[in-house]
Amino acid sequence: MRTLTTAVLWMSLCVSATAPAAAKTFDREVAADPKGIVDISNVAGAIEVTGWDRNQVSVHGELGEGVERVDVTSEPGHTTIKVVLPNNSGHHDGSAHLKVQIPQGSELDVSAVSADVTATRMQGVQRLQSVSGEVSAELAQANADVKSVSGDVTLRGHGQAAGVHASTVSGDVKIEHAAGDLEVSTVSGDVHGSLDGARSLRVRSTSGNVTFAGKLANGPTVDVESISGELTLKASADGGYAYELTTFSGDIGNCFGEHAERTSQYSPGRALRGTRGNGSGRVHMKSMSGELMLCDK
Amino acid sequence: MKIKSLRDLPQEIAPPRDLWPGIAAHIAPSADAVKASDVAAARPAAGRIVRLRWLAAAAALACLAVGMWIDRSLLPFPGKVEGGALTVSTKGAAGPALDVSYVPDARYQRQRAALLASLQARLNELPPETRTKVLASLATIGKAKEDLERALGKNPGDALLQELLVNTYQDEMRVLIDVHTASNSGEGI
Repeated sequence: MRTLTTAVLWMSLCVSATAPAAAKTFDREVAADPKGIVDISNVAGAIEVTGWDRNQVSVHGELGEGVERVDVTSEPGHTTIKVVLPNNSGHHDGSAHLKVQIPQGSELDVSAVSADVTATRMQGVQRLQSVSGEVSAELAQANADVKSVSGDVTLRGHGQAAGVHASTVSGDVKIEHAAGDLEVSTVSGDVHGSLDGARSLRVRSTSGNVTFAGKLANGPTVDVESISGELTLKASADGGYAYELTTFSGDIGNCFGEHAERTSQYSPGRALRGTRGNGSGRVHMKSMSGELMLCDK
Repeated sequence: MKIKSLRDLPQEIAPPRDLWPGIAAHIAPSADAVKASDVAAARPAAGRIVRLRWLAAAAALACLAVGMWIDRSLLPFPGKVEGGALTVSTKGAAGPALDVSYVPDARYQRQRAALLASLQARLNELPPETRTKVLASLATIGKAKEDLERALGKNPGDALLQELLVNTYQDEMRVLIDVHTASNSGEGI
């Protein structure tokens, strides 16, 4: 018996010595304004934010060894959550996985470096930014401003009108059921989206491909532009739209049976102009060498 | 007589009044005066020609000097970024082709130069994978500008190319600003 006990103790000691140090956990709850501002910043790891119907901010964190502490400060109308790293720490050894619940109507500000950002069930304004992490959010009626340098951006709407602005440098952008006013810019990322009653759509890419399909609102305004990326819009609108597709050296396709014409007998530009339905909206697509495709089916 | 062809027209028709004697009388004194002053005027005329040649040479030198000043003072050197050994290619960013198509204003140039000067340091603060992607994206923008400028060189009046070029400059500025702010961890993009 004594031998067995010694063996078990010895084994436990060995396991504790060789296993990586356990991650610290952090839990905190503070009272919050139902429509206040919530600021969250975290360098690495993840930030998951969920809206709930309580006037409280709840923070649960699993912190890596490099994390010094998590500061949660609450003032009237403003809650701040900040993962603090020691001064001599680099960006990469201090990851923290935060799960944060905040009042649904809060204005949410999230800033991350390599941490992934997720926001769900939020009704207020959202400003989400990450350098290399992926950003994913549910859209509501309030505006959303989402930025990333190299991380991908995924936005899920429910056909509720809102102002949405998404920009990346190299990350891809995916938007589902977009309504309201949508503005997307990227350099080399691809942009894919489904439209669910969008009023305006402005997209710019340098080399990334852009594809949107679905339903536009009545009298929409669409401006899609790229240097060398392919641009595809397959969208209808009640009341139709007047369209103008121009390219310097790319091809122009459509499902209307129309043929693009040369813009000048001296230069290689081509253009396709026409009207669908009553022409109450306006669709402009431009490229230097990228292919353009427009269809309303 | 009915005229059937041009040959039927008269070869000569005398004018109702001969004006030539009057004209000749006006010309003759001037011609004499010119002959008389030929010798006296020869030296000043030769002097004027020499002066004009010197003036032309000075004007050419002045044009050359102004051109060199613009090249050295206003246009950045292609491919060179101040403040570091950055390998980001800025070729064509505001290079000689631009004066054909688009010259950004001085304020833009100053801001861009400031962002480029600190770009290397900012990139060093980003995660390595992100740094690689940002450099690739800046190269993509650089190539887009070169392509647009080349096309504009052949079609300087193309409004579509001009618009796309201006927008590409804006995109480059957006990326530089994003990189600048992204490297300030915790301060957001």
